[in-house]
Amino acid sequence: MNEEQRHEATETPAQNPGQGIRLPAPTATPMLFALGLSMVFAGLVTHWLVSSVGALIAMAGAYGWWRQVLPHEQHVRVPLQDPEKRALPVEARVGAVDHLQLGEGGHRVRLPADMHPYTSGFRGGAAGAVAMALVAMTYGGLFQGSIWFPVNLLASLLVAPPAAGEAALRAFDVANLGIGLFIHASLSLLVGLVYAALLPMLPGRVALWGGVVAPCLWSAVAWTSLEVLSPEMAQHVQWGWFVVSQIAFGLAAGVVIERAERSQTMQTWPLALRAGLEAGGGEDA
Amino acid sequence: MSSADLPLHASVEVPPAISWTDRLHGWVATVDHKRLGVLYVASGLVFLLVGGSQASMMRMQLFYAGNDLLSPEVFNRFFTVHGTSMVFFVGMPLVIGIANYLLPLMIGARDMAFPRLNAWGFWMFLFGALLFYFSYVGADGLYGAGTAPDVGWFAYSPLTGKAFSRGNSTDYWVLGILVAGFGSISAAINMIATTLTMRCRGMTLGRMPLFVWMMLVVSWLILVAMGPLTAAQVMLLFDRFLGAHFFDTQAGGDAVLWQHFFWFFGHPEVYILIIPGFAYASEIIPVFSRKVIFGYPVMVAATCAIGLLSLGVWAHHMFVVGLGKGVTSWFVVATMLVGVPTGIKIFNWIGTIYGGKLHFRVPMLFCTAFLFQFLIAGLTGIMLAAAPFDWQLSDSYFVVAHFHYVLIGGLVFTIFAAIYYWFPKVTGRMLSERLGRWHFWLFVVGFQLTFTTMHAQGLLGMPRRIYTYSADRNWEIWNQITTTGVLFQALGIAVFVCAIFHALRRGEPAGDDPWNAWTLEWSTSSPPPEYNFAEEPEVKSRRPLWDLKHPDDPDWRHE
Repeated sequence: MNEEQRHEATETPAQNPGQGIRLPAPTATPMLFALGLSMVFAGLVTHWLVSSVGALIAMAGAYGWWRQVLPHEQHVRVPLQDPEKRALPVEARVGAVDHLQLGEGGHRVRLPADMHPYTSGFRGGAAGAVAMALVAMTYGGLFQGSIWFPVNLLASLLVAPPAAGEAALRAFDVANLGIGLFIHASLSLLVGLVYAALLPMLPGRVALWGGVVAPCLWSAVAWTSLEVLSPEMAQHVQWGWFVVSQIAFGLAAGVVIERAERSQTMQTWPLALRAGLEAGGGEDA
Repeated sequence: MSSADLPLHASVEVPPAISWTDRLHGWVATVDHKRLGVLYVASGLVFLLVGGSQASMMRMQLFYAGNDLLSPEVFNRFFTVHGTSMVFFVGMPLVIGIANYLLPLMIGARDMAFPRLNAWGFWMFLFGALLFYFSYVGADGLYGAGTAPDVGWFAYSPLTGKAFSRGNSTDYWVLGILVAGFGSISAAINMIATTLTMRCRGMTLGRMPLFVWMMLVVSWLILVAMGPLTAAQVMLLFDRFLGAHFFDTQAGGDAVLWQHFFWFFGHPEVYILIIPGFAYASEIIPVFSRKVIFGYPVMVAATCAIGLLSLGVWAHHMFVVGLGKGVTSWFVVATMLVGVPTGIKIFNWIGTIYGGKLHFRVPMLFCTAFLFQFLIAGLTGIMLAAAPFDWQLSDSYFVVAHFHYVLIGGLVFTIFAAIYYWFPKVTGRMLSERLGRWHFWLFVVGFQLTFTTMHAQGLLGMPRRIYTYSADRNWEIWNQITTTGVLFQALGIAVFVCAIFHALRRGEPAGDDPWNAWTLEWSTSSPPPEYNFAEEPEVKSRRPLWDLKHPDDPDWRHE
């Protein structure tokens, strides 16, 4: 848009007192041109006369359109609205702005300004693993007549279950012990790590989340998926004890993690410090 | 450039139109972007009712196994006309119409760059649509009776060849879309020119409302995508009228070529339709969360990324053709990549809502439902992007569920949000909040009943486009739930129509800025005068009205 066009488009009433604002003049010629062109196409599926008449209408529309813009573009002057219909000035509302601040009461963003070290997650996972194993072996000793029963059951996640059936599940098997320990230790350490990362971000009591909510959720996931992952294990699991063992894990891991000394995160640092730049005044900020 | 004022109108007030003929002439001869926007939207809504009626009839046919309410021939015509109407004569005019109305207002301009071309575009769309529907009475069917196109909305070859599509109903399909397509192309040119050259002082590209950014991307997509479709349609006309063999496999032509041409248009078309939905949500969610949009620059970048990626994914509609491993893998990866910028947008809308002071007025309700539904639509899209999954479910009701989740759960819900949000600006009257809530809940329940169950039908193996099915397939209960949902949706639409008429006759006066919003259109009167703004606005930030309302803490200090 050149300067003159811009001037026309933005002409103000003050520049043309009493004359209103200049806008493109209404015209039916674009409609005529469109009608004619459509009829030209419609003639292909109706009759050649439709196309012929359409071509004439299109030419008339095109010529009229041409005359609308050449040699001079046609305009009308539209008067300003009556004062009572005009838009009211936008009113200022001083002091009505709330600024969200990190950590401010009522602010729903929960970024951990400090958190547990990752090593506490591993320690918590290890503690939880011991607690869970104790519960599981207690169950095995009391109700299955063998503390190796839960170990063999866990190993059936990775290896085919013994063909001898339940008797074999109660027998000691060094390979199954190794596999069971591997599964138990790796899962426990990973879950401990997740606890360490998540617990500081959850509102309310850590014991509730770590000791009750998370074990129940995990139990629900296991209950719905175990049939697919290990039909053998699903057949023999006693779900009440399973939930108790999960809660034991959660409580033990939660306590160990919660007692660990927290370290400060970089969330509240200025960008320059986080990026490791030598920026003047960064530390003061 | 010099100009001439018409002597008849010069320096005098234009007399108010009184008689209906004057009013009619006013609408026919208008070149005002606002009136043309209203014409586009009104036409789109009328075709929405027509297309919705066809869908309802199809659903009634499928209510019972072995039903004979509709014949197979009529069913074929209904799904063809329904699909074509909803894409070309409902979706396109609604998104173009809303943009036509709002875009100049949002950038502080007095009209579009080419007002007469704007009018021409609308009339081409309308005459194209009327030509298409004229096939019901004008087209020669197989038995010489009037008939509508019945080749499906993507009209695959060789079904569209003279040998398989006798008469000229297919020609009406081609010509109607061809004519309307010229209108879409002209609208795209106009929106690009307007956005790039007519922004008010201070409105840099980085200060444009997200609505304007997104319509700019959509306009480029229209320009790139409509050309191949138009070319393919002309080639098809050559095949049908002049005996060419572009798509005639028996004479050395290539039927798959049509699929490439069509989907090179067809997939960007999905984004041409849904990005405006993103645009409405991006304007409405911040206002009703009382927060600035989260991640403006990333939203712009994500929109541009979606626009670019959408041009390279078309063949995921063609996995079952047998494209070969290399090509299939390319389109699988490209399609999944679209999920990244789209996911960014969803996170940003949630980020905007998060921690905000939420006001669940009707526009926000529709946007909230949109967020949930579009998420599901995106996830099923990712599922279908996996070629082996697509091989199993292509042309099943799972696909129908997916694209209706996109186009109704995404686009139509945001269009309703937009109508409730901007209706007060257009008419000066508020739509009833109570009727709006009825509309929302009826529609959202109906939508879920109809389209969630379609996923199940697809997984159970029900193909799309079948006019009936046998009772032993166990599809009947799912179809009955689906059809029941349509009843709820129809009731919702009826309430919406009532709400519009109620508001036009007895709606509460809206005032200039009923939502306490921040973009320029809310600074002028409701409805805006013909000239939009008496004085050219000047902006200093992305939220010019915020700056005026909060001089103690204007946005330009933070941007």
